[in-house]
Amino acid sequence: MSARPNLIVLPGHADRPRPEVHFCGHCGRAPEIADIMPASRVCDRCGLGLLLTAPAEAAPSPADPFLLIDGTLSICAVSRLAEGLLHVTETEAVNRHVTDLLVPADAEASGPESLVNLVVHAARGEGETHDVVLRPADQFGIRFWARVGPCGPPRAALLVLADGRA
Amino acid sequence: MRTLKTSEAAAVLNVSPNTLRAWERRFGYPKPQRSPGKHRLYTHGEVAALRDALHEGLSISSAVSRAREALSADTSVLVGALSSFELDRADIAMEAALALRSVERSVEEVLLPSMHDIGQRHGYDSAPWAFAAQWATDWLQRAQRLAPPPLRPAAVLIGDATHDELDVDALAMRALQLFSVRAGARMLVLPVGGVAGLAEVLAAFGPQAVVIAGDTAGDDQVARWAYGVRSAAGALPVTLFRRGSRTDSARTTARVLPDSPGDAHRVLLQMLDGRPRAMTSAAELSLANDERRRVGA
Repeated sequence: MSARPNLIVLPGHADRPRPEVHFCGHCGRAPEIADIMPASRVCDRCGLGLLLTAPAEAAPSPADPFLLIDGTLSICAVSRLAEGLLHVTETEAVNRHVTDLLVPADAEASGPESLVNLVVHAARGEGETHDVVLRPADQFGIRFWARVGPCGPPRAALLVLADGRA
Repeated sequence: MRTLKTSEAAAVLNVSPNTLRAWERRFGYPKPQRSPGKHRLYTHGEVAALRDALHEGLSISSAVSRAREALSADTSVLVGALSSFELDRADIAMEAALALRSVERSVEEVLLPSMHDIGQRHGYDSAPWAFAAQWATDWLQRAQRLAPPPLRPAAVLIGDATHDELDVDALAMRALQLFSVRAGARMLVLPVGGVAGLAEVLAAFGPQAVVIAGDTAGDDQVARWAYGVRSAAGALPVTLFRRGSRTDSARTTARVLPDSPGDAHRVLLQMLDGRPRAMTSAAELSLANDERRRVGA
C-alpha cells in the first residue's frame, strides 16, 4: 500500500443535494402526508391542482401566487392566488404565451437574465433559482419581484410572484 | 358506447366523486350525461382521455385542454374524409366518435361541426357541400333506423320549411328528429308546401305538438299549412325551430326552440311531458341562442 496521497473526486457546489418539496399547482399547499408522493397526483386538499415537485428555494408557500410555464413558454397552470392577482382564470390563461400576462419590468433587460431565457432554462430543469422583476403585460406602474426555478413532473418553469402574496 | 357511473369514473381517475363533480363545475369536463334516474353517466372515452392527459399534465386545466384536443380529433378526421370524398372513412370517423360519445353528442360535437366547417370552407351552394350533406342526411337516417321503438305516447309533427335536403337547417331538423325518436317519441315530417290530404294523415298519426322547422318557406305558406293542421287536428302547441329572421317575438305566440338540436329536443320533450317550461318566450330563447353562439365562438 503506497503512502502516496490519492486524488479523489468530491461533489461540487452544483452537485450538492438540494432538498425538494411537493406542492399543489393550484392551492400551493403540501400534500397531507408531506414526505410521500401519494398514488394520485391530484391534490388531496383542494382537488383542483396536481402535485408537483420543486427545489425548496424555488417552491412557493401557500401564500405565494405562482404560474407554471412549459418549454414553449405556454402557461400550463395558474395558482388560485395568481388568478386573483392577475385577474385571469386558469382556464382562460392555459395555453397562452407567458408574455400575454407578464413581461419584464425593465424593457431593456436582455441576455441570460431575460425572462424568456430564465423560463426556458428552468423548463429544461437547468440552472439555479433566479430573481426577476416583472409587470403585468397591459399595465405600467405595477412591479412584481418574482423568482424563476425548475419544477415538475413534467419539466416546467415555476414563476413565483413572491411579493404578490396575499 | 361504454359509460361509467360517478364512482367508477372517479376510480379510473383515482380521485373522489366530489372532486369529479368539482371538475365538472370548474372545467366543464368530463361532461356527464344523465341516466333516466338523473344520475351522472360519464363516457369512458372522455374519462380515459383525461386520465392519460393527467399523467403528463402540469395542471387539471392543461390536462382537460389536452383531453378535449384528443377528442376533437374526430372532427378533423371527418372533415378530412368528406373533403377528400371518402365515404367509408367518414363512416369510420363517426364510428370512432360513437366509441367515445352518445349518438346525440356524436352528432352535435362531430357531425354538425364538421358540416359547418365544410360549408364555411366551400360554400353552402358548392358540390363538396352537397356531397357531404347527402352523406350526413344518409347517416342520420341510418342512425334513426337503429333507434328503439317509440316508448312515449308523444307524437310530434314537423313542418318542413327548409329549402331541400341540402339546406343547412334540414340537417339540424333531421338531427332533432333523430334525437326525439331515440328519446321514444313518434315523429312525422311533412313539407309545409303540401296541404292536400293533410287531414287523413293527421287523423292516423295523431300529433300532440307541431314544430315548424326551417327558414326558407314564407310566412304565408307556413300559415296556410298551420291552418290546415289546426283544422284537421285541433289546436296544438306550435314551436318554431330555426325560423331565424322570421321569428318575431312580437308577432308570434309560438314558442321558439333553441337552435341546437340537442337543446331543442330537450325543450320539446319537457313540453310534451308537461314539465315546467325550460324556455318561455322568444326573447329568452333568443338570449339563450346568443349566449350559445358567444360561448361557441
